[in-house]
Amino acid sequence: MAELLRQHAEQLFAEELEALKKADSHPAPPRWNMSPWAVVTYLVGGKLKNGFEITPKYIGNKRLMEIAVATLTTDRALLLYGLPGTAKSWVAEHLAAAISGDSTLLIQGTAGTSEEAIRYGWNYAKLLAEGPSAEALVETPMMRAMQDGKIARVEELTRITADVQDTLITILSEKTMPVPELNTEVQAVSGFNVIATANNRDKGVNELSGALKRRFNTVILPTPSSMDEEIDIVRRRVESISKALQLPAEVPALEEIKRIVTIFRELRSGMTEDGKTKLKSPTGTLSTAEAISVVNSGMALSGHFGDGQLSAEDIASGLVGAVVKDPVQDKVVWQEYLETVVKTRDGWKDMYRACREQI
Amino acid sequence: MSVHVLGIRHHGPGSAHSLQAALEQLKPDVLLVEGPPEADGILSYVQSPDIKPPVAILAYRTDQPQQASFYPFAEFSPEWQAIQYGLKNNIPVQFMDLPLAHRFATPEESAEKDSKPEEEKASVAEYPLTHLARAAGFADTELWWEHQFELRLNHQDSFAAILEGMTALRDTLDLPEDRENDLREAYMRKILQEAEKNYETVAVVCGAWHAPALVNQPPKKDDRLLLKGLPKCKIETTWIPWTYRRLTFASGYGAGVMSPGWYHHIWQAKPDERGYGWMTQVARVFRRHQMDTSTAHVIEAIRLADTLAALRDLARPGLAEYNEATNTVLSFGDDSLLDLVQEALIVGQRMGEVPSEVPAVPLQSDVQQHQKKLRLKPSDERKALTLDLRKDLDRERSQFLHRLHVLGINWGTPAHVSGKGTFKEQWNLYWEPEIAIRIIEKGIWGNTVATAASAYIKQQLNQVSALREVAQLLEQTLPANLPQALTDLLQKLDELAALSGDIFQLMQALPPLANISRYGDVRQTDTAMINHVLDSLVSRISIGLPNACTSLNEESAAEAFDRIQEMDSALRILQQDDYTQLWHQALVSLADHSQINGIVAGKACRILSESSIWNDDIIAQKFSLALSSAQSTSYSATWLEGFLQGSGMVLILDETLWGLLDQWVAQLEEEIFVQILPVLRRSFATFSKPERRKLGEKAKNGKQSVSVAAVASQDMGFNHERATAALPLVKQLLGLKSATNE
Repeated sequence: MAELLRQHAEQLFAEELEALKKADSHPAPPRWNMSPWAVVTYLVGGKLKNGFEITPKYIGNKRLMEIAVATLTTDRALLLYGLPGTAKSWVAEHLAAAISGDSTLLIQGTAGTSEEAIRYGWNYAKLLAEGPSAEALVETPMMRAMQDGKIARVEELTRITADVQDTLITILSEKTMPVPELNTEVQAVSGFNVIATANNRDKGVNELSGALKRRFNTVILPTPSSMDEEIDIVRRRVESISKALQLPAEVPALEEIKRIVTIFRELRSGMTEDGKTKLKSPTGTLSTAEAISVVNSGMALSGHFGDGQLSAEDIASGLVGAVVKDPVQDKVVWQEYLETVVKTRDGWKDMYRACREQI
Repeated sequence: MSVHVLGIRHHGPGSAHSLQAALEQLKPDVLLVEGPPEADGILSYVQSPDIKPPVAILAYRTDQPQQASFYPFAEFSPEWQAIQYGLKNNIPVQFMDLPLAHRFATPEESAEKDSKPEEEKASVAEYPLTHLARAAGFADTELWWEHQFELRLNHQDSFAAILEGMTALRDTLDLPEDRENDLREAYMRKILQEAEKNYETVAVVCGAWHAPALVNQPPKKDDRLLLKGLPKCKIETTWIPWTYRRLTFASGYGAGVMSPGWYHHIWQAKPDERGYGWMTQVARVFRRHQMDTSTAHVIEAIRLADTLAALRDLARPGLAEYNEATNTVLSFGDDSLLDLVQEALIVGQRMGEVPSEVPAVPLQSDVQQHQKKLRLKPSDERKALTLDLRKDLDRERSQFLHRLHVLGINWGTPAHVSGKGTFKEQWNLYWEPEIAIRIIEKGIWGNTVATAASAYIKQQLNQVSALREVAQLLEQTLPANLPQALTDLLQKLDELAALSGDIFQLMQALPPLANISRYGDVRQTDTAMINHVLDSLVSRISIGLPNACTSLNEESAAEAFDRIQEMDSALRILQQDDYTQLWHQALVSLADHSQINGIVAGKACRILSESSIWNDDIIAQKFSLALSSAQSTSYSATWLEGFLQGSGMVLILDETLWGLLDQWVAQLEEEIFVQILPVLRRSFATFSKPERRKLGEKAKNGKQSVSVAAVASQDMGFNHERATAALPLVKQLLGLKSATNE
């Protein structure tokens, strides 16, 4: 397993899932691996009765996770909506892992996603040789999820063109997928449901049709509300990723993470944390996920080329890359921020110098 | 003999349900309810078929009505249900709180909470509850209470539980000393002991916080000592309509609740059908705001709320679950749409009614009668009312609202009318329960709205000495149609006008009067008096103005400029030939006067030019005179400013004027030109952008453009015959027919 670049949630947290299953005293819905209560605990963390510690996967409002899980216990599909980098796919993956023990039934939505990717495709060699038959049919993750009563995931639902999106309507309302070529159908068994994610920031998205929208319960995942919450998220993710990627550097001190999160939050909100200075906001989204990747790249830099200690120089390049997405406008924003905020802040001299060199 | 202390939560529907059940079971002989004993006399109205909660007991000091207190009741308030039960079963009901006579008379307190709608320091009781909620694992006290008591269907033992909880809290918590609370509880005990002597089974309905104090009684001697020698004052009580909005915490009501509308729903709906009714109402609100919401949505939302409640180990969904379901299913995650529900349903837009026979100060009853007669129902929704003053009903409404406005009872506030016409009037109506106090406060001025308003104006009149203030009062009074007050006002105005040497003050008073005179037609008011005053004002001003304008410094000249402008537009509204004549004479002497600031002279000249008193030749002459090199440049510049302010059109279109200005600028020495440039710029800056651009273009083209334009119009070579044929119609359109006939 250790050779895998990235493990699925159900592999990475297999121990936790097992412990939860064992300690679960509530009834589980058909084909769920555990009860809804246990799923919520898996997501937001907590201590089991036997003292086993469950790490939080989603840091934020517990009520949102309860709504998400409650939605899946009814037969409505769940739509996780929000800005890029607000842990939508992360939550979806963990939900699928906890509920079905399988987060791999995934359809990635793109502008090129076709109906065949959602419904079923054909093995054309077989189709031509033998004519339409069950053997010639190529199942999609959606079809498999329906047959096995598992959770299917659709990533970036709004990137799929509108006519293809609507293929989901029958699946979600009738819970069936007709295969007219074979004069048969695949009926979903209980336990099947769909989690879709979509972001509301990107341009060129395809708005959901009213009919499809009606079949989803929408949960909006917000950007972290407080500084501490965001720091917590970054720290946990960095720790887990560096473990997975075997980065040689030491896990950075809280101070360093705090600086990065501060910069991200200030630029995102267009105001310094003390509320005294107004700032310009850059064009990028500056999500928590990007903050995490800045720390990670900084750690890789320091581990391979530096002294193994995360320093301002290691962070600077990643930071500039994350903030300056538009070489003209964002550069001005970033320079202004450097000169007015970073330069004057106590103990940020190193950060200022490192960032100045990058521009 | 037995005493049952039933600790309740003010405005808690669950408490009310439990209380009903408990009373049915106990069958007490007497009911003691937390509330002001002064209101015992008006309790019987609770049974009246015309009373519709939410209503409140309003108690106020007879000699200082602004010192008042409200005791609101909703239908789901336990106290209300207790009173109802008592009256229905012919059981005596008594209020048992410390009399307001004592509470209002305590001076330090009166200063701090005068006229605040506050039933009691509920926060004292709310705050310790957080400890219980935390112990039960709830972060939100309100939420914990809702699930523990308000949503409960099985009411057995809940009073014993509350009593136990509160006793524990009072024993363990370190509470700050609160003399008022001690007094109140001592008095409650006193009443309770008296009742014990006379009745078999006594039921006490009081805030949960006070329950332990009534059960575990301290020695009687202490109470007697505490209650001895309290100061006293006289208190009146009455019922007034209340609103759900004013039942909320947010409105500043200490014992308020978060969601009166939701509690109302809990109280009314069958326990099993709460969710159905609630979500259907939510869907209706959404539909009213053009959001497509199907029945399928409602079903899904209820299912989600139920599942959420199960997931959270709650017996049934509460408001939080329903809100989350609404947000997730109905509004696709959009928080802002919940605000619609908040306003319309969770708080609720309900306003109570009280029977007309409730004791009230005469002014109050008069207001109510008018409201009925004029079909103006008080409501806590902000409503716009457009009145057409040509209709009798609307005119009376306007009169009534204006009279209230005069009295400072701002139920309606006048708003700007869109569109032309003097017969339209716009009001914004918004009834707040405090208005009732203001009515009582103003009750000393008279027994009807009309007499009170008249008397109130008279009293204000005695206090003012400036002419302008009188004129403002007059402007308020005239639409209120108060003949007596009007006569007084006009007399005072006339007196002040005669005495006042300050012409500008007179000029300030004139425009409102002119407005009134113009409104007179629609309102069928007798304007003879006003015209008399106007007569005297116009002649006094016209005579005094030239002298008043001499030797003014720049600042006062600017004021004079404004006054002249206002006065001129006021006289234009009046369209009285003799006034205009006098006015123009005054202006002529202003324009010709040598000692007058340039800006004033320039303005006078401009007005005379606009009203065609002086023809273009004279204007051109004045212009060149004012701008001639013998005049000081600063005079020329200010004169120009006065003349040109407001519009550059004259310059663009009037070639003669343009030529004069052009010539004047051309002959200026460069040094002087630079010196007066700021002044010139100032007057040109007031022109609109297109005007300035045109002027600039014109200046750039120099004199040629003049000739080009003039030549062009002659050289067009259009068909004169055909043009002449169109002329009669054009004249008709412009209303010039009579003029050409002459």
